[in-house]
Amino acid sequence: MNGQHTIRVTVNGIRYERSAEPRLLLSDFLRQELGLTGTHVGCEHGVCGACTVLLDGSAVRSCLLFAVQADGHAVTTVEGLSSGDQLHPLQQAFHEAHALQCGFCTPGILLSLIPWLEEHPNPDETEIRAALSGNLCRCTGYANIVTAVQRFAAGAGSR
Amino acid sequence: MIVEGNYLLPGSPDAIWDLLMDPAVLAKAMPGTRTLERVEPDRYEGVMRVGIGPITAAEFALGIVLSDIQRPQRYAMQIDSKGRFGFTRGLARVELVPEANGTVMRYSADLQIGGKIAALGQRLLESVSKLLLRQGLEALNQELQTRLGGAPS
Amino acid sequence: MTSRYFGERVLRLEDTRLLTGRALFVDDVQLPGMLHVAFLRSDEAHARITSIDVTAARTRPGVIAVYTAADLGDYWRPGPLLVPPPPIQGLVFNTATQVPLAKDKVRHAGEPLAMVVAESRYVAEDALEDIQVDLEPLPAVTELEAALAEGAPLVHEQFGSNLAAQVRQTKGDYAAARATAHTIITRRFHYDRGASAAIENRAVAAQWDARAEELTIWDTTQAPIPIRNGLAPMLGLRESQVRVIAPFIGGGFGPKIMMYYPEEVLVPWAAMRLQRPVKWTEDRRENFYATTQERGQLHDAELAVAKDGTILGVRDRFLHDTGAYDPYGLTVPINSQCTLLGPYVVPNYESEFTAVFTTKPIVTPVRGAGRQHGVFVMERLLDFAARELGIDRVEIRRRNLIPRDAFPYDHEILFQDFRPLVYDSGDYQAALDKAVEVSGYARFVREEQPRLRREGKHIGLGVVSYIEGTGIGPYEGARVTIEPSGTVRLATGVGTQGQGHFTTFAQIVADVLGVTPDAVQVTTGDTREFSWGSGTFASRGAVVAGSACHAAALKVRDRILTVAAPLLGVPGDELEISGGQVRVRGATDRAIGLGELARKANPLRGAVTPGTEPGLEATAYFGPDRGNTANGVHAIFVEVDPETAAVTILRYVVVHDCGTVINPLVVEAQVQGGVAHGIGNSFYEQLSFDENGQLLNASFMDYLLPTALDVPTVEMAHLETPSPLNPLGTKGVGEAGAIPTAAAFAQAIEDALPDSGLEITEMPLSPCRLYELLVAARERRTDA
Repeated sequence: MNGQHTIRVTVNGIRYERSAEPRLLLSDFLRQELGLTGTHVGCEHGVCGACTVLLDGSAVRSCLLFAVQADGHAVTTVEGLSSGDQLHPLQQAFHEAHALQCGFCTPGILLSLIPWLEEHPNPDETEIRAALSGNLCRCTGYANIVTAVQRFAAGAGSR
Repeated sequence: MIVEGNYLLPGSPDAIWDLLMDPAVLAKAMPGTRTLERVEPDRYEGVMRVGIGPITAAEFALGIVLSDIQRPQRYAMQIDSKGRFGFTRGLARVELVPEANGTVMRYSADLQIGGKIAALGQRLLESVSKLLLRQGLEALNQELQTRLGGAPS
Repeated sequence: MTSRYFGERVLRLEDTRLLTGRALFVDDVQLPGMLHVAFLRSDEAHARITSIDVTAARTRPGVIAVYTAADLGDYWRPGPLLVPPPPIQGLVFNTATQVPLAKDKVRHAGEPLAMVVAESRYVAEDALEDIQVDLEPLPAVTELEAALAEGAPLVHEQFGSNLAAQVRQTKGDYAAARATAHTIITRRFHYDRGASAAIENRAVAAQWDARAEELTIWDTTQAPIPIRNGLAPMLGLRESQVRVIAPFIGGGFGPKIMMYYPEEVLVPWAAMRLQRPVKWTEDRRENFYATTQERGQLHDAELAVAKDGTILGVRDRFLHDTGAYDPYGLTVPINSQCTLLGPYVVPNYESEFTAVFTTKPIVTPVRGAGRQHGVFVMERLLDFAARELGIDRVEIRRRNLIPRDAFPYDHEILFQDFRPLVYDSGDYQAALDKAVEVSGYARFVREEQPRLRREGKHIGLGVVSYIEGTGIGPYEGARVTIEPSGTVRLATGVGTQGQGHFTTFAQIVADVLGVTPDAVQVTTGDTREFSWGSGTFASRGAVVAGSACHAAALKVRDRILTVAAPLLGVPGDELEISGGQVRVRGATDRAIGLGELARKANPLRGAVTPGTEPGLEATAYFGPDRGNTANGVHAIFVEVDPETAAVTILRYVVVHDCGTVINPLVVEAQVQGGVAHGIGNSFYEQLSFDENGQLLNASFMDYLLPTALDVPTVEMAHLETPSPLNPLGTKGVGEAGAIPTAAAFAQAIEDALPDSGLEITEMPLSPCRLYELLVAARERRTDA
């Protein structure tokens, strides 16, 4: 077993100090070490996107990162999007558009979209679908997710 | 997976034959071989490390059994390799044909590949095996040149 | 019952938990002292096990235990036959079910050989490499016809062949019909394997409480109750000592209803033995071998038609790939056999199939469950007949549809629920008309397509029609309780994998009890809460469990009136229930809140009238006489590039009829998701096995699931022909979108390239495969 490294990472605004093996995946660190199980693991090879989190504000696949790589950085997971029962507007849009069924891929999609929507506040349908193409969903067929994003973008002005 | 082709080697079939049977030379022909020993007259065992695409530096136990030996024209090799990432096995046939400027080695192998390499490395198997084969044949050529003292071709 | 919520687009009650990441999925379960499992799986598809040496693995630090088949002792046994074959005359069935760990022989790549239990999954996987396995390879069995040939290697030696089953069902006299036919269309069709590929892989966690003598199992199963009932006796426990929880499940699609998977059987056993909680989570690569899959069939089919395209009869002989074992019986091929008849009048039918063992992973239902094969064969035969007879392809279907006044319609053969295949209700004519209208078929064929062709665009339209048997038994149950707080608690035995049960069932109960849906707390998939039922499968949850919820709520409603009447001093028929209260009609001040009534119905002291039951609670069950029949029509517009064979879907229209709709949001989303799955199965997804039984694409890099760029937004039209077989009038819809997609694709692509000579008789296609077929068709034309 390899030696343990100390990881100092801020997750959803809270600072953690933990030790971990170099080979421990960031997804496993978040889920098992920190108990933040909202980030889901679907493939462990970076294709499905379910494990997407934000690293210093950019969307990354936590199954393709080692926990030690997050040392000194800030991570946002789905748990950091809402406070109590107050949903993030994108989450609210998903709810209103029925953009989730089993919900397993949903956290990864939310985190993939949030930084993208900051850069593209007025996307058309083709752009939305391209942005979503890195996240696999087996339940919804994507249509309502596209609608949710359109709703969110349309409502952005009023926020 | 079928692997076949021809390669021109320096020297006569007779001269090459014994060297091909020498584990030190044979090892050169298979890139990534870490160890290779002749445990019986017709049997070799060794360890290899090869990477294919997403699977880097996988370690394999290698076994080779010779058969159908007709010195110095032809022989067959039953290749069996196994590791945590899967297995490869199959029969390779080697024929040595004398030419004016050396010997043409004609080889043909039908390899079965299984386990993780087969499941994850499909797209790269053909190109990687071609690459390894080319590297191996070039290295073999160099080795034979050196040992036979001929001019580099 | 006033319908305030039934039929409404009620937003889902379960969303907040899922959106915020608070919902519990099985891999989220973390318990103190929990151990983790990894399985050593065979790399060989077919081999004799010479030896397994786990001594080195056992000594690795962090490893708690390593088990092989030999270590399981009496616990080792083949799983039960889950679905016995239907009582069809002359049926042959050879039972061979999966084992917890392979002993003597492995029969498919990925079959488990050993189980490692360790402090972490990382250490457990390290230990897998310490295990020395000696396997003597045997020739694989992968091709269906070769598997049945003389001298083929045997997957199960005891049967003397690879025949798993043989079933023949007939109606009328096909031979006689054939003799009078104007045209006979004969083709071979090949449908190949695909995975269900839920984004959540399977997982099982178990905890044995030695003091309470209770076992809790969290399992990504669609059938928690049967899992409990089967595992309890295996583990030497009473059923009441075992609690199985199917929490939020990340997509089911069928394979999660396969039961007594090796991992399900071994993880609880290990937890009891080791006296520590144990969890196994499948990784994606394992999922491709260790979770069941579906769809390999080879059909030799024949359609006999009259000159006007009227169907005289169909004969179909097919081979069905059941994989290395057949625990799920014949559900899939019987569905193929029955669904082939479709919405059509088929007076004479001869269908015979042979299920074949192969050295590939086990086959059990995946969304559609064999129906797609039947639809593909029939719709293609009709397309070829239309072409040969010079009849419009929609018209030939119209001429053969079962008329709307012919219900119940008896097809005279047996369905997967062991009942005669009788369609309960439907208006197939209206569905076809609607699809023609919405798609603009007539104008497209007459004007637009010729114009587009002149512009050099190759756009085709495929219109296909299908039926889907849904809502089968045996039964489900529900218990409704009004709590003192006024909250209505609903518990039912089915599980939920995203279909919105927490909302749809709440809608049903809310209407009956005059509350809002969010006042109804729904529990599904927990055997402690409800322990009678069979599970979520075959598009039956809303029909069967929904009807049980309705029945239980009605009983509670009667209780409310019975208890409230004397308290309010009026007869029951003068009372009304709404807004969470029961009140005297016309006198709003004479009312009791439901919560308060529940308290009053449960006195702490005093006497009650003998025979009274306390509280406001009732349990009810619903078991339909037989399954009902949903139907639909799909229309797909594709553009094909004749040079590169690239296909773009321009429009996708679905007309569907699932009877009365409980929540249109949910129904539409199920159709949309089903179509996405169908598109995947038609055009992107294929499990590629080589001749040695090796799976060549066991990852999402090479097994292609459709993305948001590949699936259009489906245009939907609903029709409703209520089912007379349940009080709600509803029919299932979970699989509908996925069933006819391949047939629609095939017709549309051929329609886009009418001069290519292309005939699509295989699925799935891929751009490469379509290109090959186009080239071959071109060569055939130049040769001719």
